[in-house]
Amino acid sequence: MAHDPAVTRARIAAGVFSVGLLVATLSPLARDPKARKSDGYPLSTFPMFAEKRATKLTITYALGDAPSGARTLTPALVGTGEVLQARAMFETALAGGPRRIAELCAQIATRVAADGDYADVTAIRIVTGTHDAVDYLIDGKHGPEKLRGQCEVKR
Amino acid sequence: MNWFFADAPRERLAAVRILIGTWAFVYLAARSVEFFKVASLGAPHFEPVGVTRILGGPLPVSVAMITLGASLVLLVLFVLGVGYRVVGPLAAVGVLWSTTYRTSWGMVFHTDNLLVLHMIALAFAPAAHAFALAKPPTRPARAGYGWALKLLVALTAATYVIAGIAKLRLGGLGWLDGEVLRNHIALDNLRKAVLGDWLAPLATLFLAHPGAFTIFSVMSLALELGAPIALVGGKPARLWAVGAWSFHLGVVLLMNIWFVYPLTGVAFAALLPVERPVGRIVSRLRSILRT
Repeated sequence: MAHDPAVTRARIAAGVFSVGLLVATLSPLARDPKARKSDGYPLSTFPMFAEKRATKLTITYALGDAPSGARTLTPALVGTGEVLQARAMFETALAGGPRRIAELCAQIATRVAADGDYADVTAIRIVTGTHDAVDYLIDGKHGPEKLRGQCEVKR
Repeated sequence: MNWFFADAPRERLAAVRILIGTWAFVYLAARSVEFFKVASLGAPHFEPVGVTRILGGPLPVSVAMITLGASLVLLVLFVLGVGYRVVGPLAAVGVLWSTTYRTSWGMVFHTDNLLVLHMIALAFAPAAHAFALAKPPTRPARAGYGWALKLLVALTAATYVIAGIAKLRLGGLGWLDGEVLRNHIALDNLRKAVLGDWLAPLATLFLAHPGAFTIFSVMSLALELGAPIALVGGKPARLWAVGAWSFHLGVVLLMNIWFVYPLTGVAFAALLPVERPVGRIVSRLRSILRT
């Protein structure tokens, strides 16, 4: 069976395909995972959770102002079901300047107005907060927040 | 070479095709609302990656949804094993395109990569020689069926090894002391807290008692760099799969990040005698359809 030329040809084809796909999958090893934009899809450097990071984080997010205090808003209210995509949307809006922030704020306000669970929210603030993750999560200590934009929730 | 081409039952490869194809269908269908939301975000948020770099801007939402619908139809045919030589590659392209388009909005996800690689491998393998609506071939595949199963396992192992090497390249051996992992877990949960997502159930407990992160770090790296042991097959491979599954469960409990493909076990199907349970289900379905 192994000496059948047709079998040999089929094995060579399967072997070439397999090696090609494996080499492609391993090719991100030739990239520098530190370099921004070095990651790809589906051929990834899988850099997640690898880099040394301090526990202090500066991040932009939205808050809903309610009589009981500021409420966090779900990613769905930002326009996506994914928390990391919501973060990317805030970063993009921030990079786009006050107009983009205002647009995003208005979109969030429209979704909040239509959501009964947020009936007490009267205004949206987009802020950039700097928090120590461990202090925030373990002790509830919040860091400073800088206002980037705000808008009313119209009902 | 003989090791790579050692034969395996055609039913096993076919069962893996059914499991992975069904999984991809359910996953994409369940993500369709999310897909619609991100596809509606507009040009300012579009950051193409991989194959979507051929686009000058986002597709009209209707076109994006049609491509998703076409991918789902192709996946149904893929699972049924209809016109596989054509349908297999097209279904793989459909999954590649749909998952890439979804990840082209500012955040590159790492949860779907292995599924896409497995789909590409299956697309060019004789995976529809059993459990298919099409008539089975009169003679077996000339290169056999075992190589395709080994390729699936090798791709799985490769992705884990790359992740392990990235940790050593970026964090050095210092990654093992647990601080890097602890900080990532803290940061990830902080992001969830301020962006309105659920915190991981065990995150605050372990962040308050950080000693365990050294153990978690050593185990994670050992599992990732030791992934090639899965190619040995048998008990070592199954033990590794259990370890990898437990690792992903830990990621859920500490970070609320769901790598659903490995968590459901489908990512490890090529390591297991899945032809038995899948064969029973196929037989049952056939008898129902006959009556």
